[in-house]
Amino acid sequence: MIQVKDLHKSFGKLEVLKGIDAEIKEKEVVCVIGPSGSGKSTFLRCLNLLEEVTSGEVYVDGESLTDPKIDINSIRSRVGMVFQHFNLFPHMTVLENITLGPRKIKGYTDAQAEAVALPLLEKVGLSDKARVYPESLSGGQKQRVAIARSLAMEPKVMLFDEPTSALDPELVGDVLQVMKDLASEGMTMVVVTHEMGFAKEVGDRVIFMDEGIVMEEGSPNQIFEDPQNSRTQSFLSKVL
Amino acid sequence: MEVFLNSEYIKPMPYLLEGLVYTLLITFAGLFFGFIIGAFTGLGRLSKNKFIYGLSSVYVEVIRGTPLLAQILFIYFGLSQLMDINMHKLVAAILAIALNAGAYIAEIVRGAVHSIDKGQMEAGRSIGLTKGQTMRYIIWPQAFKRMIPPLGNQFVISLKDTSLFSAIAVGEMVYKAKTYYATTFTPFETLTMVCVLYLLITIPTSIYLRRVERRLDV
Ligand SMILES: Nc1ncnc2c1ncn2[C@@H]1O[C@H](COP(=O)(O)OP(=O)(O)OP(=O)(O)O)[C@@H](O)[C@H]1O
Ligand SMILES: [Mg+2]
Repeated sequence: MIQVKDLHKSFGKLEVLKGIDAEIKEKEVVCVIGPSGSGKSTFLRCLNLLEEVTSGEVYVDGESLTDPKIDINSIRSRVGMVFQHFNLFPHMTVLENITLGPRKIKGYTDAQAEAVALPLLEKVGLSDKARVYPESLSGGQKQRVAIARSLAMEPKVMLFDEPTSALDPELVGDVLQVMKDLASEGMTMVVVTHEMGFAKEVGDRVIFMDEGIVMEEGSPNQIFEDPQNSRTQSFLSKVL
Repeated sequence: MEVFLNSEYIKPMPYLLEGLVYTLLITFAGLFFGFIIGAFTGLGRLSKNKFIYGLSSVYVEVIRGTPLLAQILFIYFGLSQLMDINMHKLVAAILAIALNAGAYIAEIVRGAVHSIDKGQMEAGRSIGLTKGQTMRYIIWPQAFKRMIPPLGNQFVISLKDTSLFSAIAVGEMVYKAKTYYATTFTPFETLTMVCVLYLLITIPTSIYLRRVERRLDV
């Protein structure tokens, strides 16, 4: 589904990603962990070209993102992204947030778009919130709307960048539950997270990043129970 | 009543109101075109394209760095000479307000669009909208709300600026007053009424804008 080959990314002189190789298979849930500033967000953002790749190659769904002829909007509509701070559109109702993509990109009528959106709202447990504006929602509800908004484009992969780290602890569970449901339905997911419990339980594979490279990767069991790299060990000893 | 109606304060009113019509016409028409200019150049100032950015910046800096009276004379006399035409005074006036206010509105637009959280553009792009679509459906509607108070402020400024057109004998309110008191020798009464008429527009506008601003704040 996603192949990354020798990915480098610099911001000016600062090299943030120093040659990343990774592969994410269909229906796989890959969790990316690592210390702050290690480049996890940057890596994720390169996967839908929110950041321009400096060098290396990224293939999504068989298409090369670094090919200058690529239709990036079409790729992006197949790769959903959920942000730490939700980024809902505050001037639109919950329903409008979700139907915007289908209406404007897929050319759906309002009725068609609602037929897509309403079941998604039900899936994230917010059927009663269709007509309200985001400002009246809690953080956890906002994030679930953001997930529904992404899903409305019927993406093949979902990218999550610390989807629960801006939430009050008691609201984290609902969002994680939605993500678990998605995983069990076979959605391909890349999740940058500090929720080690989620990574253990739901992740098929865990990637540990530090200083712009993949230090270690493996099954949750391997990484959490028997980490080989000393960096991984010291990171986990701090967070677990 | 009789005394009041015959007072030197009331007698110039028919002239002044006639002038006020021109004042308002020039202000509204000028700001209408000024907003179009300002929207394009404001976005131009946010463009990554160096040429568009440069052109917009030169325009904004030239207008903001020169006095309006010089701009008015330049447009009315200078452009007429250059293009060898007799520009209609009203056209010159509307053009001058449009070009002048356009530069200030450009800064208003730039500031408002810039103030919208970067995550909004990213969220729009990540569902597959183009830059233009994201601007149109997501950024602009939010930014426009934030433009309303400063645009109202610009309305008050441009309204007052129209008085400068008396320099090219456009029949707006101040010009009407000048021609009136030249024969009646009552500049005090006449100009008092000019100010009253201006204030009758500007004060309610300011109060209304403060209210809008407070509502947008929460
Ligand atoms: N747009 C940018 N311009 C310049 N530097 C940036 C930019 N975005 C990120 N960086 C830098 O790149 C490095 C990696 O950032 P990144 O956000 O990818 O880290 P992260 O692993 O996601 O950290 P966190 O856990 O804090 O979110 C940091 O040093 C950051 O300051
Ligand atoms: Mg991050």
